[in-house]
Amino acid sequence: MNKPYSGNRNAKIQQIISGMLIGAAISLSGCATTGVTEQQNIANKADPYEHFNRKMFGFNDTVDDYVAKPISDAYKWITPQFMQTGVFNFFSNLKNINVVINDVLQAKFAQSAHDTGRFALNTTMGLGGFVDVATHVGLEQNDEDFEQTLAVWGVPQGSYLVIPFLGPSTMRGIPGAAFDTAANPASYVGMPVQLISLLNTRANAEGSLKFIDEAALDPYVFTRESFLQWRNNLATDGKSESSLDLDAEWGEDGADSATKGGDTAADNKTVPAQHVSSENKYTRQEHELQLLPPSPSKIGSE
Amino acid sequence: MVLKNMKLTVVFIFCLLASANAFAQTESGATAKQVVDKFQTELIAVMKNGKQLGYAGRYDKLYAPVSNSHDLTKIARIVVGKEWEKLSEAQQQKLVDIFIRLSVASYAHNFKDYSGESFVFDSEEETTRGGVVVHSHFIIPDDKPVKFDYMLKEKGNSWRIINIIANGVSDLALKRSEYTTILQREGFDALIAKINEKIDNYSKL
Repeated sequence: MNKPYSGNRNAKIQQIISGMLIGAAISLSGCATTGVTEQQNIANKADPYEHFNRKMFGFNDTVDDYVAKPISDAYKWITPQFMQTGVFNFFSNLKNINVVINDVLQAKFAQSAHDTGRFALNTTMGLGGFVDVATHVGLEQNDEDFEQTLAVWGVPQGSYLVIPFLGPSTMRGIPGAAFDTAANPASYVGMPVQLISLLNTRANAEGSLKFIDEAALDPYVFTRESFLQWRNNLATDGKSESSLDLDAEWGEDGADSATKGGDTAADNKTVPAQHVSSENKYTRQEHELQLLPPSPSKIGSE
Repeated sequence: MVLKNMKLTVVFIFCLLASANAFAQTESGATAKQVVDKFQTELIAVMKNGKQLGYAGRYDKLYAPVSNSHDLTKIARIVVGKEWEKLSEAQQQKLVDIFIRLSVASYAHNFKDYSGESFVFDSEEETTRGGVVVHSHFIIPDDKPVKFDYMLKEKGNSWRIINIIANGVSDLALKRSEYTTILQREGFDALIAKINEKIDNYSKL
């Protein structure tokens, strides 16, 4: 979610304002179309603006096919692997400032010490962050951001949104992304660094995007579901017991309705967005830093 | 000395009892953990020979392990939700058949070779609805481990996998959203055509 914006502060504020305007436009256009989409998507309380989102998804996909992917492929082709890893480590390290801030905001004080240590070690011994020494001594990368903090504070997730050029988000994700951008030093430097940051982000999403391409019957729904589940998993620190229970329920419902003869009321309970619970926040499980949910495709990609 | 001998005998008897007990358990049907263990072992074995086997070889080798450890008929029902009732018997059968092929094909495609990966068992817990969740993680050298949680339900006298949750993303939930959306928007034939296309791509890639 850390997208580079212009280094100029005024421009940045403009960006944020225009982001809000886009958000408002989205909600308004959403209001206008809910009547139509409601019938179609009984199962989708998380995505009332599906009609609009699908269009944006298509648009982003086209932009990716014709612009982002070719550039990212060229970057991967000309840049040696160790450089790509170094660049990835560098930007991940900068994000740790934001991780530490959000650790504190979520009252995860032990973790904030851990992440401060990680940042200090990688910035010094790790040559400004290019080498990830901290992982080797057991200081793993944690993934915290302001959207997760808002979740922990009890702010509801809101509707799913696909934002032009930026991709999947939620209502809660918009202020989250604005804060994360503000807390990332990479947002305040010149164009080349931001361009590299963008390339790095796209290049690292390659595996996930390829997996979606291969596995998804409906790429829009696949992306939405995996994004929402992934964000929920992060917000609850991998402790989505609620989703396990829901799954159990589905098992029963599926089997029951299959044998009994269709219980539609039971089915409406199964909206995936409903596991947006902000309980079970303080738990020890670690999680991954990835753009999209990891895929088994990594295991033997070539 | 006599005492020591007696102690040894007692220990020996305990060992015997324990192994007899373990044996009895496998006789009466595998536990949830055993089902997952067995499947993971078979999967790793196929990965180790993945290159020589090729896609078709992996598909054949994995067919029995996947269909014996997963309750694919039940999964196929769950992923289409209430749409299941609207399908004719022939359509239901067709869906189950093609779903089994898709499941095996995606394993054969995604787990194609071996570079030191392994599964590690973490814990096992019972859910409120009489299911069992086996928590494990998949270790990939030089990469972050992936959490794999298997949700199992009892079928007959054995346990079967009905859902896999990888790093918090539930496969069942994902498929259910996709399948019901396609059925509602485009209908049964489109769904079957799309699944066929995926199976086809898996075999080529």
